[in-house]
Parts: sequence; structure tokens; C-alpha cells
Amino acid sequence: MPILKESELDIISHSEEQTRRLGVRLGALLLPGDVICLSGDMGAGKTAFAVGIGKGWGATTPVTSPTFNLIHEHRREKDTMRLYHLDCYRLRGPADAETIGLDDLFNRRGALILEWPENISVLLPKERLWIELRVLELTRRNFILEGTGKRYEELVNKFRESTFGV
Amino acid sequence: MYILGIETSCDETAAAVVIDGKTIASNIVASQIDLHAQYGGVFPEMASRAHVEAISPVVEEALRDAGIGYEHVDAIAVTRGPGLVGSLLVGVNYAKGLALATGKPLLGINHLEGHVYSLWLTQPFREILFPVVVLIVSGGHSELLLMTGHGQYQRLGGTLDDAAGEAFDKVGRILGLPFPGGPNIERAASLGNARAYNFPRAKRDDSYDFSFSGLKTAVLRESTVPSSAAARRGERGTDRTPKLRTDISVNDVAASFQSALVEILVEKATRAAKAYQATEVLMAGGVSANSLLRQMMRSASELPVRYPPLNLCTDNAAMIAAAGYFRYNAGLRDDLSLDVAAMWPLTSASYDR
Repeated sequence: MPILKESELDIISHSEEQTRRLGVRLGALLLPGDVICLSGDMGAGKTAFAVGIGKGWGATTPVTSPTFNLIHEHRREKDTMRLYHLDCYRLRGPADAETIGLDDLFNRRGALILEWPENISVLLPKERLWIELRVLELTRRNFILEGTGKRYEELVNKFRESTFGV
Repeated sequence: MYILGIETSCDETAAAVVIDGKTIASNIVASQIDLHAQYGGVFPEMASRAHVEAISPVVEEALRDAGIGYEHVDAIAVTRGPGLVGSLLVGVNYAKGLALATGKPLLGINHLEGHVYSLWLTQPFREILFPVVVLIVSGGHSELLLMTGHGQYQRLGGTLDDAAGEAFDKVGRILGLPFPGGPNIERAASLGNARAYNFPRAKRDDSYDFSFSGLKTAVLRESTVPSSAAARRGERGTDRTPKLRTDISVNDVAASFQSALVEILVEKATRAAKAYQATEVLMAGGVSANSLLRQMMRSASELPVRYPPLNLCTDNAAMIAAAGYFRYNAGLRDDLSLDVAAMWPLTSASYDR
């Protein structure tokens, strides 16, 4: 096992329900402008984790798979902040990203959850939270969180505190 | 009354003329399916470019087929959402241009409301008595609605993760079947044994929500080999397409998957129909073309089951024109400030007559 930096976190989730609960913890910490990348194979739990994020953040509309529409916009009651949930599986580059208005989203006062972020890696901001989801077996999943930049190092630390109390 | 309908929410450029909300005078659909099939999905930039190219000829053909000119059109109905922004924009802007040039009233239509009104286009038409339970299942949507009158929608449930059609597409991809997944899985399933695998069914709870991601993951686990260590580590450039096991029968997996998914839909819809004392169960959307779903719903439901003819299950503009007719009759109009609404729950498109 690699030695992790302060800004990294390695977690095992034993069920889809636990994956969702981890998402809830992260969702509660999101600020406008945050970029959360969820990278992992089909069935790794990207959408389950995003569903939890939506719940923790307080979305008034249920978070579901954005695969068909590519982008879902969520609102919450307490303020005007938005949560954008994107599936980049079918984005092949800048032209597709432009069609769905991705540039615009990076500049808006919302938080972004990106599934299949590696497909648009050239367009991603350098500072972000990258979460790698891996299938271990049956319902067990491994999550590795890696924050790049001051805001995301802080986010990983807060997430660690809220999840493990340390 | 002639309503011109325009639909470009996803990958079909469509225009149609419908008379009095019931009779199809023309129904033109330019499908991009061949364009997207080679890539295994709808790509947004390609889709909107194809819409731009097709929209004008498609609308003109719809009018020509109906044997009318713009002067005969009473109103223009266009899909405003939900859908792909870049695709929706093409239809909405075209419709606004037409409305401006011809002075005809403009109506922005919810795509799901369109699917609902595809049921009113079924010939010969028997009157539909409210309340009815409507199951809308397509590539992007899985919604269970209670409809208590024209424009009166109550959401009973919907998918918690993947849409039904999306589950078909993703399982199709796992099994190496061509895009789109629905018809190709149905074909493979017809040659397979639906009892070969016992995939997870509906959660036995009281809700009317669906969940298909567990089913998809079960199919994945059963029919693929674990990805390489490099792919698991998420190294860039590694192939993350799941590898199919050589010792499984694709037909058996397809049949078992299809029957599990259909069972989930049938259980929720029939239970809702009973609980809300519906007069009928209506189905619409691309997945309602699935013959096992039609057959199972008919045999499980104590109530009459109604679904559109195959050409009206998939996206089309006749259904948009039909929905437009009922909105027009209710006195609703939109102006030229009409904008696309990529996310637009049907319940917020409800109206009073």
C-alpha cells in the first residue's frame, strides 16, 4: 500500500449504502466552484456516490445517472448555489464540451461532479478533488481521494474529520 | 385545428402535423441512429450539427406530406426540454423563427408530456378516462405518473439511478451488442433462456421508485472478467471496456436481464394502478416498444393496458403536436422569449384547463 500524503485518503466501502453515506459526508462540505472528479469503471459506484453527494448537499431534485442528458443541474433550498452533475463518457473533446457549455460551468458559482473525467482531462482545472473508485469484489469498493490545490487539501482533511473523526 | 410539432431533444430531428390532437396528417423523423451507432452512443456536438442540417428539410417535408402551407398552421409546438441543450436549441430557435415569420402562436412542450400524448394518437381511438397511471420508459427517463386530467400530472416514482433504456444500452455495451441496446437485447433475448441467471429484482418496498444500477452491476459481474490491474489502478490510456467472458451465453444473459427489468417495471406500475384506482395502465417511450414488457404488463394487470404503435414509442414530433393541441385548448401560449429547459420535471409543466 502506498504511503499517502495528507491530501490523500484511502477508504474501503463494503456496500452501496456505505458508498452513498460517504457521498453524503462529502456533499455537506461542498462550496461554490468545487470540482469533484469521479473516476472508475462501470459499476464502480460513481452514481451511487453522486447520489449521496446530492443528499448531503441538500438537492431538492433526486440525483440520478446523468448519462442520457449528460448534465443535470440541481438546486437546494437554503441558497442559490447549484450542483452540476456531468457524465463525460460521451464527450470526446473540446467541441463536445463546448456544446454542453462546460467552460461556462467551470466559471459559474456551482459545484461540479464529473463522471468519466479522464475523457476531458485537457479541459479540467489543475486544482480539483480526484476520486478513484475501484471494484474489489461483489459490493466492496476502494476509494482513493486525492486533493490538488489548497482548497482540495482542506476538503480532504475536512472529509477525513467528518468521516473518521480524526 | 392544425398543430405543427417540432422535436429535437436528443438524436432524432422530427416534425409533424397533427389535426385536433388526434389525427396524424404527417410525421417525419430523421434519425441519427446510423451516425451514432458507430460510436456506441449519442455524441452531443455531432447531434446538434446533424439537427442543424436536417431541421429545415424535415419541417418542410412535414408540411408537404400534410398537404398544407404555413398559412394553415394554427400553432407551432416545440420540445423545450428535458434533453441535450445543444439539440434542444436547434428546434426551439427554429420554431421561434417560424413563429416570428408567420405570426403563429408558439408553445413550448415538455418532452415527457409529448410521450404521454402519444397515447392519444393511437388509432382507432377509444376515449381515455382519468385517472390513469402512466409509465414512461425511455433512454433518458423512467417515470411513473398519475394523470388525473389533461395537463394534470402527479409523480409517483422514478428511477433512483439509471433510466430503463439506459440500463438496456449499458448492458448492451457489456454484452458487446450494437447500439442502441433495447432492440438488440430484445433480439438476443428471444434466443436465450430467461431463467439461466437469477438477477436481482425490485426491492420489495412500498415506493414506486425504480433502481436498475444493481441489476446492471450484477450482469457485469456475471458476464465479464475483472479488468486488468492497470485498468483497476485507473492508469490513463488503459482500456476500461469490460471484457466479456468466453464461457457465457450472451443470449441467456440478455434474456435473464430483460426479464428482471421488465418484472420491476410491471410490479410497480400494476401496484400503482391498483392503489390509485386507475382506469387503465398507459405506457409510452422507447422501452414501451419492448414486446416482453407489453406482454407481461397485459398479463399482470387487471386493468386495460394501452401503449402506442411502435413508430410513436420512440421520439417523434406528432406526440409534441398532440400535447401542443391540449395546451393550446387550455389557453396556454409562449412568447419569443421561450428558452430551452434541459432539466424540466413534468410535474412543473402541469396546467389547469
